[in-house]
Amino acid sequence: MAPQVYALSQTPVTSHAFNADRTKVCISLNSNEAQILSPKGSEWVVNETLSEHDKVITSIDWAPNSNRIVTASQDRNAYVWQETPDPETGKIIWKPTLVLLRINRAATYVRWSPKEDKFAVASGARAIAICSFDEENNWWVAKQLKKPIRSTVLSVDWHPNNVLLAAGSADLKARVFSAYIKEVDERPSPTVWGSKLPFNTICGEYSSPSGGWVHAVGFSPSGDVLAFASHDSTISIVYPSGPAVYNIRLPALPLVSLTWTSENGIVAAGHDCRPLVFSGSEQGWQEAGTLDDSKSGGASGSGFGAGTPGRLKSGAFATFRDADVRGQSSIGGAGQTDTKLTTIHQNTITSVRPYEIVNGEVTKVSTSGVDGSLVLWDTNEVSAITGRLGAAHLR
Amino acid sequence: MDVNFRKIDIDQFDEDVLHESELYEADPRDPYEVLEEAKQRQAAVRTSLARSDIAGALSIVLENAPYGPNVEEAKNLTLQTLLSILNSTKSTEITGVIKSLSPDAQDTLMKYLYKGMGLPGWGDISGSVLLGWHEKLTEVAGVGCIVRTMTDRRIV
Repeated sequence: MAPQVYALSQTPVTSHAFNADRTKVCISLNSNEAQILSPKGSEWVVNETLSEHDKVITSIDWAPNSNRIVTASQDRNAYVWQETPDPETGKIIWKPTLVLLRINRAATYVRWSPKEDKFAVASGARAIAICSFDEENNWWVAKQLKKPIRSTVLSVDWHPNNVLLAAGSADLKARVFSAYIKEVDERPSPTVWGSKLPFNTICGEYSSPSGGWVHAVGFSPSGDVLAFASHDSTISIVYPSGPAVYNIRLPALPLVSLTWTSENGIVAAGHDCRPLVFSGSEQGWQEAGTLDDSKSGGASGSGFGAGTPGRLKSGAFATFRDADVRGQSSIGGAGQTDTKLTTIHQNTITSVRPYEIVNGEVTKVSTSGVDGSLVLWDTNEVSAITGRLGAAHLR
Repeated sequence: MDVNFRKIDIDQFDEDVLHESELYEADPRDPYEVLEEAKQRQAAVRTSLARSDIAGALSIVLENAPYGPNVEEAKNLTLQTLLSILNSTKSTEITGVIKSLSPDAQDTLMKYLYKGMGLPGWGDISGSVLLGWHEKLTEVAGVGCIVRTMTDRRIV
């Protein structure tokens, strides 16, 4: 099945999150408003706008079971949105609840925990705020993980046991913390990451030898393996039970977001504008290919020049006229502009999320990026990488 | 008010500032050892070059390259040795030599190429030789190699 491409806007899509049955998606278009879109035919149209934040919304997450949306923004706040009937009109609207994070810098990333009773907000204040709902006072309280984070936390991911949290930071380290909150969690059973873990214990600290900000972290579906992608164009997979760390060097530009498809597969994407697939096991990992066979991207663009027939539009006349008027010197080409990339996404992919899960394996992923489009990919259509340099090819 | 407040280095007074040294694993070797190693490698490279074993010579000089703050002399010596290899390789052989290097060695070579490009006129640095190697190395190792040169704090 070919990838489904939806061009949502001309501005970058900062973050996207689907609801449980994938009938709605909440996106942020690099502004202080979040929009909820629903499909109409083959397009997505705006259903509602959530405006409460003062500054750009940096991250959105939609809890599938409890149907709550959490948005985090550069205005140092997070809001939890819940669908409730409006007291005046009786219609169902999204009502926001402010969460006081007590951070003095922007929030960069937010994720609900697997049980959806907590969420973690990564921030530039060198801290992660773990927020849980206090029933007595009927509001969300935040506890901060501070030591030993030395710089902005760029991404977080929860372990399936609802207690451990992985965090990637700009101080070049990926860490696993315990975010155990006494009132909310029951004592977790021991895992490969450790046992008896009070709040803010470090269960592991890893980095890539050639440095680079850790842009994305992810636990495998079982939680026993950690993967992180850093800015030095590498992706590392950590087996704490081994102990083994596999560091895959990429010839392409750095990856910015990743998601596990199964215990042995990862889909990651970033500045190279196309999703890459990695596969492996405890014995070793390697790159398996890409979900974007660049041939399909190029075909749609080359129909430009072959518009209406006519003496003035074809052949030699058009070639010399283009060279004179537009400075294009493609001889025999259809006048295709040089700036269109051969990949489906025309700019960095900033977010990869699982879309469809069948029998515990992710069969489809959704990606959104700086080019303003949302694309759904089938994870089984892996093709080998033809151009080694991907979208960043030398001309 | 006689203190020039705009020029105060605020990081001196911040207890929690992030230092450059915290960002990478420091070189565990002693600076004197590193210099000795660099001299030994220079001799080993000369013998390899005499036998026209370019790939071997490159692997020797790029392995365990000195990095970090205290080993300036060793770094200069290693750069000199490397330049002698780069200058004496024929352009047709460059791609073959690069392909025989390990990925670590390729990344280290890229670091030295950029270091050389930043010092025009030092020793016998020739811009065209460096650019020629840079082009061939990028074809083999990809832009990822260049990105790693930018992010790696272990500056050679």
